[in-house]
Parts: sequence; C-alpha cells; structure tokens
Amino acid sequence: MSGAILEAKGLSKWFGEIVALNNVELEIAPGVTGLLGPNGAGKSTFMKLALGLYQPSRGYVRVLGESPRNNPRILERIGYCPEIDHFYENMTGFEFVYHMNRHWGMGRKDATAAAERAIERVQLRERMDDPIDEYSKGMRQRIKIAQALACEADLLLLDEPMTGLDPQGREEMFHLVRTLGDEGYSVIISSHILYEVERVTDNVVLIYGGAVLASGRVAEIRDLLDDHPRTIRIDTPEVRALAALFAGDDHVLSLECGEEKLTLRTRDASAAFDRLNRLALDADAPRITGITCSDDDLQSVFDYLVG
Amino acid sequence: MTTTTKSAFDEALLRRHENRPKRISYLGYVGVSMSLALIILLRRQRLLMAAIIALLPVTIPAATAYLSESEFADYGSQIFVHLVEQLHINVLAPLLALFFATMQVGEDVESNTLVYMQTRPTPRSAWVLGRYLAYLVVTSLLLVVSIVLTFIASTSLPGIGINPSDVMLLAHYCGVALLAVMAYGALALLLGAATRRPIVYGVLLLYGWQGLASAVPGVVDFLTIKKYTDALLPVLATQRQNFSMETELGTFQKQVFLVDGISALATLFVATALFLAYSIYCVRQREFASSRAIGN
Repeated sequence: MSGAILEAKGLSKWFGEIVALNNVELEIAPGVTGLLGPNGAGKSTFMKLALGLYQPSRGYVRVLGESPRNNPRILERIGYCPEIDHFYENMTGFEFVYHMNRHWGMGRKDATAAAERAIERVQLRERMDDPIDEYSKGMRQRIKIAQALACEADLLLLDEPMTGLDPQGREEMFHLVRTLGDEGYSVIISSHILYEVERVTDNVVLIYGGAVLASGRVAEIRDLLDDHPRTIRIDTPEVRALAALFAGDDHVLSLECGEEKLTLRTRDASAAFDRLNRLALDADAPRITGITCSDDDLQSVFDYLVG
Repeated sequence: MTTTTKSAFDEALLRRHENRPKRISYLGYVGVSMSLALIILLRRQRLLMAAIIALLPVTIPAATAYLSESEFADYGSQIFVHLVEQLHINVLAPLLALFFATMQVGEDVESNTLVYMQTRPTPRSAWVLGRYLAYLVVTSLLLVVSIVLTFIASTSLPGIGINPSDVMLLAHYCGVALLAVMAYGALALLLGAATRRPIVYGVLLLYGWQGLASAVPGVVDFLTIKKYTDALLPVLATQRQNFSMETELGTFQKQVFLVDGISALATLFVATALFLAYSIYCVRQREFASSRAIGN
C-alpha cells in the first residue's frame, strides 16, 4: 500500500438543489484522522461517499485505491460504525455482531470467534446475550463499534461514535481508537467536538458547508479555535458543588446554574474538558452524568474561519 | 502518537490480510441472508397473525359440515375447490406476499438497517435471493398447511372417502398455490425494494388492478398474475363461472385469449425472474436514505 488510504478529487454530492458536498479535494494518509465540522457540514455525506453508500454527483473517491461503491474487494476491508441508532428487532448484541460477520462472509466458527473478540474489545461481554432493545445508548454505540471492528478491517469509519457515551465510556472509546491507531489500523472518526478529535489524533480535516476548510495538525487548528469562547453544558445533580470547583479557574468566563445543569463558558475548551474528565473519573467529585458541547459555538467558530 | 508510519501500517495491513478469514461462496451468502431473514420472520408477531389468517379457510368446511351434515358429503370436494381457488390462491397468496415479501427489503430501507448490508461485501443479488427464499419457505409452509387442512376438513368426515384422484387434486392445487406464492412474492419484494409505500402499491396492484383487469373484457388481464395462476387450475377456465363472460364479446375474447398451461407456467417463472432481477438492480442502485441523510 502506498500513499493515501482515501483520495477524493472534485468530489461533489447534491440532493436536488441542496449541495451536501462541493468539490472536495482530499487525501487522507494511513493512521487516525478526525473529521471535524458542525452538524450539516457534510461529514456524514463524505463518509457515505467513502463507503459507496452514495454515488458521487461529480468527481470521485478512491478508498484503498479503488472505488468503493458495490465493490466487495473494498467493502471487506472497511468497517463502518453508522451514526444512526437502528438495529434488527429482537436480537441480542452477540447475534447482531455474529450475523454481521456472517454477512461479511465468515464461516460459523470464524463469525462466532470474531464476534466474541470484538464484543470483548468494547467491553460488552457480560451483556452480549441481552437483547439490544434493553441496551443503554452507550451500549448500543459500543455494539455498533464491535460490528465494525469484528471483520479485521484495514479502514474504520466511525461516524460520531462518542454520541451518547457517558464520560467513562468516552474515555474508553478514546483509548480504543488510540490503540487501534497504534496497532496499525486506519481510522476516520467524525465529530463536531474538537476535544473529542484531539483526544485520539493529531490529524484533522475541517469540513464546513460541504467543503474542506482546512486539514492538518490539531494544534494549528486549535490555535485558531481557542480564540473563540466555547459553551459547555454539564448534566449533574450537584450543580452548585461543581460550579464552585470551576469558579476560580482562569479560563472560565461565566457559569450559569440551572436545574441539574451547569452551563460553562470558557476561552480554553481543552482545559475545561480535561478538568471535567478528571472530575468524572474522581469518585469524590460531584457526579457528572453528561457533557454537551454546544454546536452553535463551533458553528460560529467556523463562520469566523470562513471569514 | 496515533499517526501510523507507513511501514507500520503496511506491516499491519499484511498481517490482517493473512489473518483475514476466507470468505464463503455465493451460495453461502444466499444461505446467510436467508437464515437472518428467517430469524427476523420467525420472531415477529405478524407471523402468528398471518398463520391465523391463513388457517381461517379451514373453519369454513368444518362449520359447513357441522351445520349441514347430511348434504356435506355431496358438496365437500366442491367447497374445497371453491375455497382453494377463491381464497388460498387469489386472496391469501397475494396477502401473504404483502405481509412478508414487501418487508424483506422494504423494512431494511425503512428502518435504516440496510446500511449494515450495503457496507458488507455480500453480493447484492445473493442478499436479495436469500431474503426471497426465506419468504418463500415461510409463506409456502403456511399456505400448504392451510390447503391440506382445508382438504382434510372437507373430505375426512364419515361417508366421504378420499380416493387417489382427490389426493392428486390436492397436490395440483398445492402446486398452483406455490407458483402464486412465488410470483406474488417476487412482485411484492420488488415493491419493497423500489417504492416507499409497498403495501399501498401492493394492495392497489394485487387486489385493485387484478380484480378490475379480470372483470374487464379484453386482453388487459394478461397483465395480471391471476390470469396465469387461473390458467393452471385443474378445472378449465371456460367451464368456470365468471361474471366477465356474461357478454358475448367477453366470452369470445376469453375463449380466444385463453392461456395454455405451459405458457402460463413459463410466464410465471419469467415474471418472477424479472421481478427479482429488477429488485436486485434497485438494491444495487439504491443510495443510503434517511431523514437525516442530507447535509449531515
């Protein structure tokens, strides 16, 4: 294998009069790459084109050197974790991964062994025989990742994989993606949160308004983004205790307490996320049940970058 | 940290390539697709509902026998013929096709689970054929069991002896019913693969259009499946009472445009093959679709 693992030239996709992706020129090297952009930027469309789920309206995309659409040679080398949260009804986690493996083309024994390995890897072994309908959002996310991992793909496309995960789950996912990168997998991970991308890779592609805005090292991008204040919403039953912990921090611009919700405005999102992360893992700290980074802020940052 | 060097990547690529299991054959893919479809079908509550509906005709000869035992012996086989022709072949076979065949591809599209299949190296044709075979197995079983039970209910009462010709008649009707299941199912599968509202289009086509075309004098009934399943029934179409033949022109045209058994059989097989081929084409051409697809 030489050069880019994914190459797009003049890649465009439109749906009627809506241009979802416009003239994208991009080469992605092996390793872990983050696809960063606000909702509606074109990240998922780009991923679906890379998977052959869409036919390009113009231009082309090559994955591992070939067009992916209806191409079994390429599809057997790609693992995909979709953003959508849909499964077959009345199926356990193990059955789901097993049947996906069988559809990949594995024999019964291989499919069983690969399903068990992948489920183990996403730490769902104890619940693998439970119906998916009974899984939490985070567990459903993990079982989707397991089906993507199970087929020993060369390229993993993970579409917003952190969605719905609690802080602990996010940490595990960060660790998993980093490990996959270290093991020589190529991973393209999409997110609208810079912090998430930053935790797993140095390489980032910024997508906005259906176009690639920039690509390069995260640090360079972050320097641009950090000039802009960011808003983080934290779900916690101990709002005031958590607010008190942040009150003295230099990067905090404002704190707003709501009902089981703390809204934090910061000029250094990474510092805030680091702090939140440590608190989430600290048993003595106020309990954090969810973290949301307002997309409006990212949108404004992208507007700022576009000028 | 996570940027893999080219050589490390190449090594990992080679290692995975060597460790990657050998993929199964085309028929293996058909079997895999069929087994998943069977699991989905067998775990559905709609299967129980369909079984109840399929078995309803069995109650008619049983009830007739109970209510009119003295005359039943004379009419038992006629009731069976009537039920199989009017209910099993012309109502239940299309209904079961709408129940089960439309969901084979249509439900994956509707629930967005199609994305898992589209991103697997499964040959699309094998996937569609597997789904179709699962439908065929379940629906054929339901219909054949219903026809056999109806036959037993119609003929097994005291005073009615079953002779070999009756059994041949039963086998003949079962065969025609299976052909109906085959053709209606392929059409319903196509509706599921090609349209957003397969049930609506299916009802319009299989009940609305077929009923209308069969009643209208002329050749339009050639564009129905019913025309060809009727042509395969043991009793000659010209001998069967049909209200569309009430006009002289209608009678003339029906006689002129009768389809012989071989042609009917060939047409049903060709139509089924065409419906399946077009379903496969639709699945191959289909793009991922969800309410959130655009612009994400």
